[in-house]
Amino acid sequence: MSQLARLLGFFPRVLRPFEYFEAEALSEATQILSEYGEEAKALAGGVDLVPRMRRRLLIPKCVVSLTRMREVDYIKSNGADGLKFGPLTSIRSLELSPLIQKDYLALYEAAHQIASIQVKAQGTAVGNLCVATPASDIAVALFALGAQLVIAGPSAERIVPIEDFFTGVGQTILQPGELVAEVLVPHPPAGTGSAFFKLVRTAADIAKVNAAVALTIADGICQEARVALGSVAPTTIRARKAEEILRGKIIDEKLINEAAEAAAQETRTITDLRSTAEYRREMSRVLVKRAIGKALERAKA
Amino acid sequence: MSQKFAIVGRRLAQADTPIKATGAARYAADIKLPRMLVGKVLRSPYPHAKIKRIDKSKAENLPGVEAVITLEDTPKIPYASSFRDLPMAPSGSLQRSDEYILADKARYVGDAVAAVAAVDERVAEEALRLIEVEYEELPFAVHPRDAIKPGVPRIHDYAENNIAVRVGYPLAEGDVEKGFQESDVVVEETFSVTKQVSGHLETQTTIASVDPTGKVTCYSPCQLPFPLRRELAKAFNLPEGMINVVSPFVGGSFGARLSVYNEPIAIALAMKTHRPVKIEYTMEENFTCVHTRTADEYTVKMGFKKDGTLHSMYMKVLTWSGAYLGRAQLAGAITLVWGMGHYRCPNRAGECEIVYCNTTPSAAMRGYGNPEVMWGVEQVVDMAAEKLGMNPLELRLKNIRKTGEPSNFGLPIESSYLEDCIKSGAVRMGWKEKWGKKRAGRRGVGMATMTHCSGAYPLLMEHSGAIVKFNEDGSVNLTINPGSPGTHIWGALSQIAAEELGVYPEDVHVVTGETDKTLFDLGSHASRSTYVAGNAVLEASKEARKQLLERAAKMLDVSPEELEVGDRRVYVRSAPERGISVTEVVRSAMWDLKGECLNIAGKSSFASRWTSPPTAAYFAEVEVDTETGEVKVLKFITAVDCGTAINPMTVEGQCEGGIQQGIGYALTEDFVVNRETGVLESDNFTTYKMLGTLDMPETEIIIINKPDPKGPFGAKGVGEPATVGVAPAIANAIYDAVGVRITDLPITPEKVLRALKEKQSR
Amino acid sequence: MKMGDQMRRMEKETVNFTVNGRQYQLTIEPWLTLAEVLRDYLDLTGTKVSCGVGECGACTVLVDGKPTLSCCTLAITVRDKNILTIEGLAKDGLHPIQKAFVDCGAIQCGFCTPGMILMTKALLDENPHPTREEAKEFLAGNLCRCTGYVKIIDAVMAAAEAISEGGSR
Repeated sequence: MSQLARLLGFFPRVLRPFEYFEAEALSEATQILSEYGEEAKALAGGVDLVPRMRRRLLIPKCVVSLTRMREVDYIKSNGADGLKFGPLTSIRSLELSPLIQKDYLALYEAAHQIASIQVKAQGTAVGNLCVATPASDIAVALFALGAQLVIAGPSAERIVPIEDFFTGVGQTILQPGELVAEVLVPHPPAGTGSAFFKLVRTAADIAKVNAAVALTIADGICQEARVALGSVAPTTIRARKAEEILRGKIIDEKLINEAAEAAAQETRTITDLRSTAEYRREMSRVLVKRAIGKALERAKA
Repeated sequence: MSQKFAIVGRRLAQADTPIKATGAARYAADIKLPRMLVGKVLRSPYPHAKIKRIDKSKAENLPGVEAVITLEDTPKIPYASSFRDLPMAPSGSLQRSDEYILADKARYVGDAVAAVAAVDERVAEEALRLIEVEYEELPFAVHPRDAIKPGVPRIHDYAENNIAVRVGYPLAEGDVEKGFQESDVVVEETFSVTKQVSGHLETQTTIASVDPTGKVTCYSPCQLPFPLRRELAKAFNLPEGMINVVSPFVGGSFGARLSVYNEPIAIALAMKTHRPVKIEYTMEENFTCVHTRTADEYTVKMGFKKDGTLHSMYMKVLTWSGAYLGRAQLAGAITLVWGMGHYRCPNRAGECEIVYCNTTPSAAMRGYGNPEVMWGVEQVVDMAAEKLGMNPLELRLKNIRKTGEPSNFGLPIESSYLEDCIKSGAVRMGWKEKWGKKRAGRRGVGMATMTHCSGAYPLLMEHSGAIVKFNEDGSVNLTINPGSPGTHIWGALSQIAAEELGVYPEDVHVVTGETDKTLFDLGSHASRSTYVAGNAVLEASKEARKQLLERAAKMLDVSPEELEVGDRRVYVRSAPERGISVTEVVRSAMWDLKGECLNIAGKSSFASRWTSPPTAAYFAEVEVDTETGEVKVLKFITAVDCGTAINPMTVEGQCEGGIQQGIGYALTEDFVVNRETGVLESDNFTTYKMLGTLDMPETEIIIINKPDPKGPFGAKGVGEPATVGVAPAIANAIYDAVGVRITDLPITPEKVLRALKEKQSR
Repeated sequence: MKMGDQMRRMEKETVNFTVNGRQYQLTIEPWLTLAEVLRDYLDLTGTKVSCGVGECGACTVLVDGKPTLSCCTLAITVRDKNILTIEGLAKDGLHPIQKAFVDCGAIQCGFCTPGMILMTKALLDENPHPTREEAKEFLAGNLCRCTGYVKIIDAVMAAAEAISEGGSR
């Protein structure tokens, strides 16, 4: 990123010109995105896209604004069908939703721990997902909650589990012309508890490591476990081995430690200016341990 | 005990804050001049490279471009961005001029190579893209330990092994080796500190214009307007009187604005285009090009007698300067002065090597070497206390210098209440109950102390001039130019004037902000403004007061000695009901056309000849999560001896801000340069983490408030003391909590966890 | 479903802005940020640009009451909305929030101040009686390098009290 500035030989202060369209329906947006392919970007909150453009990390030929499509800014729930929200739903509205605070705690906590109110009020959850940073707090919570994404494009809609959405650092399965039209979060069955943890340098910082766990307990036995980790691999991951250890068992301290250790083994951590590979690996274990403990407490409550 | 003052000592709101609250205050980027152009700088993408050829023809031909300049288009007169000609006391100048307006060779990623002036930012950027530069890359070194290796090319021709200068401790005395042999406990440890970024929110912005007579006006956030004027005069071979440095409101300085940045480039463009030119840095540009705190690696060795008396002290410092000296040269040397001038010690010596490297230059961030060195010294004191079996608080009390003893600068300490700071801070922190207890929950307390300065005499000769004149409405114009650093210095100076003149603070109009309009003042640095500029204001006020009383005496038919002034009235001390308003006196003086007419005004030129160092004690309470290594600062107390607090509210504000910067220095702020590419990775607030609201601990500021005999109404400096001892107090608290000591900044959870594991395995 | 070639590419557009209760008609390109339009076109320089990446909060304005980072917002996307900048907070004199900041010593260099004050307004509009902790949480996206935030939070609490005692909102 600073590489680019270095190659430019100067520091950009303003945006370069681009072709601009305003979509009034998702179909219009996908139409333009199809036409321009890789050279177009969709604009929602702009909190990531606009600075990225200013810094010349991205120089799209075309920007398609979704900002006039207020009808895709919603949080809906059908009770048993779960929760859904649209591409313009802000992270702050997820945080403030009484439903999410009650039944989808990991998502609430992920949203709440993003410190800047402005970033949350303006930034959208879908936008955050599409940036596809492995450090995304929203992604790791949605992994734990078993979310699915509805992808709209020039051809038919498709629904993909969120685990299949990310393919690499900054990479998603979205093809040219495609958009995330909706996020679906299934209603947690009775006896489910979830929790989110992250480690940061200051409160308003990108995570060094983040983790979210959702457990469903019935008759004292773990019926379902989802353990998700972020910032420890090129994409957000599910720690499947850790989940296997928990599933079908009575979760005690020994089992938690075992699962947490397994989760740490599933990471592929790196060293960067936020943290070291060794620390991230070790903290994966600690955060998963804490998240399992908290989720368990909430599941039993 | 402090006297009762009418105005001094009051928690007054500052006169310039309402317009800041309404958005009406104009900072440099907000100023628009007719026909103004946008200036923009082309910078080296390489950390070290020869500049073989620059082709600017395409850029020059772009419509909307008014000028494109390279080094060839500027007078090639070298200058020091840190002011080669800063007035020096007899100790002599250490400065060296090692920069040109545009680089003769690229010495760091970001070095200024060419510049354009265009009608707007977008055209300017397009023009920069059209400038073709042929570079020949050279091997480079980011870290001083790499830069001094044999075979590494010289960054500056004169500096062998890239060592710019070697400096010894100027106040060395005794025989340190013998002293160590005579000591019962000797502790030696090596420390390293980072290039902290000043982090001011307003990016570096300058506007230059040249009028038809050739007179240059330069709007600059520089903290030292008169030295800037002098440096610009040299760089352009102009008489000083042909340059007017104007200070707009400034969005924070903290020492970074002591240096020259884009002023010469803006002026060169303005001269070529005959139009005003504004150069506004982006934040990434700020991080890359604005001078940081100086970084060092150093060894501290201290020898104590078994009763705790400090007997011998030695320091060896390797100072990481950057591509140009900036202020690192002085910072390196002054580091020794702070470090070894705080405690009483009969045997002291030290050496410092200042090294060039291919990174952002270092300057004089808040504390100017004092935070850098007390990081190590205050930890060594704690380490010694442990070996001696003493409470580190007691060890400090035993060795701190007292009033009358030589100060860190060698002259007698006019006043020191450091003992009061230590004792009152300890009580408020609960030191006795908390220290050394290895409390559950992994909590610990730590402390640190320091001595600073109120102005840099006798290391630097520095003075201020003030004019105080009465208006016939009873108000006062106070002309003074301490710079516009973003502190509330004008308010303190107004309070000083109002106190002396017997008027209200709102009666004082501060006339400032232009070198043309004001008398020479060195500007804001070395925490000098309250003490030196304040004394200048006091002297000028005394003169004006004298004239006021003389005139009033004639009007009241008494002698001036019988008169007192206060509450906007001049009155007979023994019969207060006999008096006359200040307004009447001045009106009579100015407009008495039948009688004797005169101005009622005072002028001063004040240079400090004493040292009244402010002192402070810092107390931190921390909690360490031993599973993650995270350190949470629960509470922070600063007890400061800055003499009389002219305005306690602003003193607190300085200290609270100093805590934010100090905790960042200690825990979260890290200037990360990629050693393979020389590129700055931490180039904005996303990557460089400063504390926000949720990261600050509970704070308490204790102001000792005992007057200094030489300060104006007893005041000393406070701007830098606010931050000097924060980091070592935290390091010492961590040791108290979990028994590990981190010697290299910042103290990250990664380092703490690693240290805890190593401790466990031993 | 509209066909792509019926979607109009927007270039230099003449649009309406409502800023601080006043209507402006401006002809602007889509690639101008709201900060640029406010500062350079309307000479409302109270809104500051600092980091330019949405990290410091200095550029905060309120758009239909919602805290918005003007350096991260394309101006054209907020046309026809009600934009409040620091200049619009008080018609004459000082708004109670501004007065609280002045009186509590919450302003040093002043560069973060407009963003802090507008966030305070957004906070008190939503939550007229915040705790200190709630105030800190709400201002967590606004950096200050001068004050250490202590007196800023004091000012928020003082403003809340002043407003609930009958000052105007």
